[in-house]
Amino acid sequence: MMFSLPQLLIVKMRHLCLAAFAMMSCLVLTGCGNSEPEITGAPPDMRRLTDEQYVNAITDIFGPQINAESHADPLLRADGLLAVGARTARITPSGFDRYYYQARTVAQRVVSTENRTSMFPCEPRNVSAADDSCARQYFTKIGRLLYRRPLTAAEVQTPIDAASQAAKVSGDFYRGIAVGLAGMLTTTKFLFIIDSTEPDPNLAGNVRLTSFAKASRLSFLLWNTTPDEALLTAAETGELNTKEGLKHQVDRMMASHRLDTGVRAFFKDFLQFEQFETLEKDSIIYPAFTIQVAEDAKEQVLRTIVDHLIVRNQDYRGLFTTRQTFITGALARVYQVPIARPADGAWLPFEFPEDDLRAGILTQVGFAALSSHPGRSSPTLRGKAIRESILCQKVPEPPGDVDFSLFEDPNSPNKTARERLTAHRTSPACAGCHKITDPIGLGLENLDGIGQLRTTENGAMIDASGDLDGIVFTDAASLGMTVSANPATTSCVTQRLASYALGRSIGAEDRELLEYLGQGFEDDGYRVPALLRRIAYSDALFAISVPKTDNATVLSNVDGAVQEKIEEKQS
Amino acid sequence: MLNLSSKARFQSRSIGVFSIACVMSLMVAMPVAAADTNTLGFVVRDWFTSVFNSKFLDECPEGLTMANDEIWWRGLSKEERATVTENGLIQSLARQFITPRRGPNGEHVCHDPTSVIDPPMKVVEGKYSYGANLDGDTDGSPTPKTCSHGNFTHPDDGTPGIDNQMYRLLGCIYGWRRGGLPEANAHEGRGTSGLGMILIEVSGITDPRNSDDVIVTFYRSIDQFALDGSGRPLPYSSYNIDMKDGKPRYNDSLKGAIKDGVLTTARGDVRLPFYGNYNFMHPIIRDMGLKLEIAPDGATANGMITGYYNMDEFLYYNGGMTGHVSGGDNCPSMYVAAHELADGYPDPDTGQCTHLSSAFEIGTYAAFVIHPDEKKKITKR
Repeated sequence: MMFSLPQLLIVKMRHLCLAAFAMMSCLVLTGCGNSEPEITGAPPDMRRLTDEQYVNAITDIFGPQINAESHADPLLRADGLLAVGARTARITPSGFDRYYYQARTVAQRVVSTENRTSMFPCEPRNVSAADDSCARQYFTKIGRLLYRRPLTAAEVQTPIDAASQAAKVSGDFYRGIAVGLAGMLTTTKFLFIIDSTEPDPNLAGNVRLTSFAKASRLSFLLWNTTPDEALLTAAETGELNTKEGLKHQVDRMMASHRLDTGVRAFFKDFLQFEQFETLEKDSIIYPAFTIQVAEDAKEQVLRTIVDHLIVRNQDYRGLFTTRQTFITGALARVYQVPIARPADGAWLPFEFPEDDLRAGILTQVGFAALSSHPGRSSPTLRGKAIRESILCQKVPEPPGDVDFSLFEDPNSPNKTARERLTAHRTSPACAGCHKITDPIGLGLENLDGIGQLRTTENGAMIDASGDLDGIVFTDAASLGMTVSANPATTSCVTQRLASYALGRSIGAEDRELLEYLGQGFEDDGYRVPALLRRIAYSDALFAISVPKTDNATVLSNVDGAVQEKIEEKQS
Repeated sequence: MLNLSSKARFQSRSIGVFSIACVMSLMVAMPVAAADTNTLGFVVRDWFTSVFNSKFLDECPEGLTMANDEIWWRGLSKEERATVTENGLIQSLARQFITPRRGPNGEHVCHDPTSVIDPPMKVVEGKYSYGANLDGDTDGSPTPKTCSHGNFTHPDDGTPGIDNQMYRLLGCIYGWRRGGLPEANAHEGRGTSGLGMILIEVSGITDPRNSDDVIVTFYRSIDQFALDGSGRPLPYSSYNIDMKDGKPRYNDSLKGAIKDGVLTTARGDVRLPFYGNYNFMHPIIRDMGLKLEIAPDGATANGMITGYYNMDEFLYYNGGMTGHVSGGDNCPSMYVAAHELADGYPDPDTGQCTHLSSAFEIGTYAAFVIHPDEKKKITKR
């Protein structure tokens, strides 16, 4: 059964009214509400820092003048997120080399003459010799920030010993400190976010995350960086183990401008923006697509998201219909619109007219270019991206023996992508998948391989109509409305955000949690900050289960299990 | 202001209507004011003095003109030649700064072209030239506005009465022929410096391919070209108008019409910015007319500017080029020839014509011409 968009809206309105009525009846008659279900949680684990988290952590701990970089081994996407893939990330020998090189670079900059005075809590008695006392003060202070918890005595002693030895050899206290610091920067305790646990005093026989592990979860979720001093102090005082204390910290972090960073990080992962790093276009076909355009296109989508969701606190679904965005001179040339400051790279607010074909992030250059081939658009890739990234629906991989000859025949009488794909779909092996991707992606065919508007392809008029799960649309703008109205759009971002926060896949056992979050999201008018706050307040964010084992001394072995994983990853 | 909606714009493109008018309507709806939807904009990238080069140099039957270097060399005594070549040991002479200083008292003959009397230069004697019939006649007879001159025939369509004394002056100089160094160097310099940027704004468009009554205004931009990876300008870039005391520094307009995608203006005096070979000028081209053929996709437009070019400004420009080694010209000879060939705007006292009929081939790219009020609105939100 096919619905047009107005019909769909009427149906949705009816559903909304019924839902509202049911909710009010429920509240009046029984006092029921949307309460958080108890979930078991997953066994403690560890996740490798993303490149961005590494840089953010170094910058926050040592300052922007350190100018950190990170080029770690790429993370593998799992269940739609790199954040989930980070659980299984290893460090290869070459990856360790890069970490070590970067650690040495950071350490040398930290102890450099211009930086050392502001970064050290003490001065050595003699800069030409080791000074264990000063080194202890330094590593105790900096280690707490690096490992995101206080260090054990042994953990402090290790860099002190290294620094002492190096200072004796080099005759330079600070060079010694650099050696010790570089060592700390290459340990798994810094490079991985570790779920350290402790016995749960409220539930005998169970474990809970330590308050420092909670601080890390919160900080990397909301700010995508290491916990700040206030959060570590809250962990130290036990504040994070109380509802009020947790709420206070979450509210503080949500009110910070740094929330933008956290939201950006999630959406970069959600929309698979790591692909921008390898995005290339044929400069003969698309001369307007430069490196600058690629960078700005990515940034435009993120700015639109932050502005829509955070600055203006708008409905998440509106991301697919909003006409408000920001552009630079480089992007203005691709959009073919005027801009007041064409040359200096400045970001200026911009709004497409009400009846423009461009509406929502799917019609922006970033999405259009990313889900295209280097020299042409791709309704299939675009449909797949919408299905998988926006709606959380799995599109099967193509078979290995796909015959592209009909599609790529340069002498084909089929001028448009629609015609070529129709011919290609005559193969039953291809038809199954293309049926679920192409009708969506064809809606964006008025955008070429880099997102420039076009009406024709090879001289033939483009038909950009299509349907998404039975809802028909006529062009790119109405495709955005259709995506916006699809129930999977909101359930997908709910599931992905929950998965991102918990750092693991969401399974059947999390169904009640998703329902709770989904209902809350709907109640809050699909405001992402509210969803984020709900997750951050939740017990689910910190829920940990005891690893399944036959060993009777389960509790005492929880951290041991993590330690084994550490050693395994280190090896 | 004609505010086509962008969707209507898009649909209008789909039925083959010229695209630039369409994209001009794709603007910030709120709070940015609509850019003028009945306006086309272009930025001039190519500016070449139009010269007709026949296959076998028929237009210069006696060959190319003798350059300053040769005249300098011929004027040296045996002893002087020995000095500058260190007794024949130096073949490649660092001569560019010394050859023009051959006035009787060491004057620079390009800065002081009357300080010596050189052999007359060779000028074009051919029949054909690009350009336009500026004075309306076909015989070159003098009028109150013109001096006696020869006319050409257009090489492509056979139009008689073509006035192009600039070509007659330059067509037999090696460096000024097509692809010569002075023009190539000036072109290169404009492409990367953001200097001498000419904007053309066509307002009053009713149909981008056919509009009977348009106004064509010429501005200078203060923004550089936005280039693609191969160094070509990207169409649909934005360029701010250069302002002075709240008004555009260059702001002359001509009436015109567009027919089948070809813009043709009436004639009038227009001051244009110019930069080339490290010289800045702002010549007023008198009786200037523009003919511009707009590509079907609207991204580019090529054409010709014709009119009377101020002779003194041209001689100043040519004389100001460093060296005159590769240009192959000779300033004193050119000075005399230019005065003999000048065919427009006689001096009321002397009767000496002060302008040379000229033609310039231009290549443009579709552009957004940003006015200061639009800028304020765009940046306000």
